Amino acid sequence: MSELTINRLLEALLEGNQSLAVVESRKLLENDVKPERIVTEGIESAMTQLDAKCTVEQFNLLEIMLVGRAVMEVMKVLYPTDGSPPDTKGIVVTGALEGDVHDLGKNILRIVLTAKGYRVVDCGTDCPVEKLIDTAAQEAALTIGVSGLITTVIPQVRQVTAILSERGLGHIKVMAGGAALKQATAESLNVDFVAQTAFDGVHYIDQILEVK
Amino acid sequence: MPLLIAKIEKSERRIPFTPGRSLRDILDATESRVRSGCRGSGACGFCRVQIEAGKVNEPTPNEYTLLGSARLEKGIRLACQVMPEDDLRIVVLEPAPKSNWRSLFAEEDEVRRIKTSLTLREFQSEVEHPYGVAVDLGTTRISLSLLELSSGKRLAGRYGLNPQMRFGSDIMTRLVAASESQIQAQTMRQQVIEAIGEAMLDIATREGINLKIVTRLALVGNTAMLTLLSGRNYGMLLQPSSWMSYVDCLPQDTESWAVSWDIYPRARIEVIAPLAGFVGSDLLAGVVATRVTENEAGALLIDFGTNSEIALWDGQTLWVTSAAGGPAFEGSGTSCGIPAEPGAVYRVSLENGELDFAVIADGKVRGMCGSGLIDLIANLVKSGRLGKTGRFTSNVPGECFKLVEGEQNLYLTKGDVDVFQRAKAAIGAGINILLEKAGMGSRNLHRICIGGAFGQFLNVGNAQDIGLLPNIQTDLIELCGNTALAGCEWFLLSSEATKSLEILTEQVKIINLAQCDDFEDIFFKNLYIEPMAGS
Repeated sequence: MSELTINRLLEALLEGNQSLAVVESRKLLENDVKPERIVTEGIESAMTQLDAKCTVEQFNLLEIMLVGRAVMEVMKVLYPTDGSPPDTKGIVVTGALEGDVHDLGKNILRIVLTAKGYRVVDCGTDCPVEKLIDTAAQEAALTIGVSGLITTVIPQVRQVTAILSERGLGHIKVMAGGAALKQATAESLNVDFVAQTAFDGVHYIDQILEVK
Repeated sequence: MPLLIAKIEKSERRIPFTPGRSLRDILDATESRVRSGCRGSGACGFCRVQIEAGKVNEPTPNEYTLLGSARLEKGIRLACQVMPEDDLRIVVLEPAPKSNWRSLFAEEDEVRRIKTSLTLREFQSEVEHPYGVAVDLGTTRISLSLLELSSGKRLAGRYGLNPQMRFGSDIMTRLVAASESQIQAQTMRQQVIEAIGEAMLDIATREGINLKIVTRLALVGNTAMLTLLSGRNYGMLLQPSSWMSYVDCLPQDTESWAVSWDIYPRARIEVIAPLAGFVGSDLLAGVVATRVTENEAGALLIDFGTNSEIALWDGQTLWVTSAAGGPAFEGSGTSCGIPAEPGAVYRVSLENGELDFAVIADGKVRGMCGSGLIDLIANLVKSGRLGKTGRFTSNVPGECFKLVEGEQNLYLTKGDVDVFQRAKAAIGAGINILLEKAGMGSRNLHRICIGGAFGQFLNVGNAQDIGLLPNIQTDLIELCGNTALAGCEWFLLSSEATKSLEILTEQVKIINLAQCDDFEDIFFKNLYIEPMAGS
């Protein structure tokens, strides 16, 4: 019974059908399927399929946003308090640095990470480097994700790793992404990884966990 | 449309044309220009062609004098004296040397018609019958026109690529390049000054015009282009804080420009100041030319480009924003996109479920320009091949629509549809947010002026079906062409226009879309390929 309905949830998510996805997840809960199982077999599996479809030629922003919004609604059904599971794989702090007010790309990363079982703490846009690092320290973050749509934030991006090691937080990995940053090399930005897409970023973070 | 087949050197071109223009004018709009040394009056005798097939008007007296009856009997004619009405096959005997500049026609569009009501300036000049030049300095394209100052008549016009394109096609790349190196900044500045001179020289040599009597020049452009032209404060534009405020970028060395262009040495060269980092003088010129703020509330101006500017007049305030949608409507950024040039599909119609392409200049399809892409997407949705979320339906195997298959394949990929959706959504969100700020709905709109990328080819109904334009009666939507250049001509000719500009700058309110709380939601709704919501 539950397998059949998890498949129906999976299909609703991939269709980006938010209301149907919410109905299906409620049904699953009523049938005593554990939220953890809904996340792994429904949400994560939807993300894996979306990931495989989202090559550069086949990417479609609306499709991803539709799936993403459906996922976030289902997460709210599963975890009514704060929309993410109590046990997480790790915490990722995200933000766009001072002067950059764009956050669409960063929001997609947040959705994909949440769906994959990470907890995202977002510092928003126009965020000073210090605030980003303070938050990462407080939350004992696994990774910091810096998004940049305009090239003027590059000097600030270059500082992040240096300040982290100064403050004895060198174990926190730094990942960059967004139109202005993804053309640069990790070396030139002084970060650990440059993500081409949100999925690319999640693969990197998964890999950090595997090494650990 | 009748078809002109022109043999030029070793190639053959197929050029559909509208009767009413001379053969020279028709050729001038293509890469296959004929040599010339006068303004098409039949005086110089350079523009020789041979008629191979087709019926044309009888030779004019000038042709008898310059060509003689023996040549006329062989079908040799002056292109400027031939007014073709039907299909025609010709050989261009005297091709013009290759040039970076093409002719801009004095189209009798709405904006030019309104202009006749302006009071012209009184010009006190040491020169009799002085000329003026208006320049629109765009990121991709430079357009200019030469006018008789006493009558306001446009005598000639040219457009060509902005040579700074070699540094990057978008504004940000160029600003960064200039900020990185003084030499690069100097090069970019020099390139534009030289390009304007080159375009004027092309007019001088081809139309037989003496540049020494050009006593006045006015120039408009987006703020970034003006900072690069003056070499001042381009670094400021990299800071988002300057986008909403005034940026000083007026040049301080215009006398040396007059010398390098070889125009009247004491010519008055005026660069029209922008309002803010976001709002260039090109947009201000467009607003003045379309008289958006001089009429009743509910007029919308959209100037399409890589960054499209949108302005909404609510009767008291002109709400202005800039939507960074990318260059999809200018024919870049998609795998099948090309600018509106020979080989570009400019119109797609749907007949009995089959798509029919109209191509600029020759029969072979090389790609889609902005208006063609809008028609294509609208018709794919109408014929059930593409869903409103941007997914191809099961009618299209392989998630990719084949436009042309053969020697050179041409496809519309799912990725192309995505790029298109984002460009469209940026404009749609911009319009929605301005309407919301002004407390208006599309029902309050009684006029929409379209300037920029699309020229005269945009199918307004299709643009509404996909949600690029608000749903109002189509006869309230005007295709205005290059409104920036039209407005710049006004500044050149009339002090009334300068006054309008002063009043206008007091009425503008600038909106930064990225700082609107509900931007992401509105953008998301506009990604759907369906008519715009709201009324």
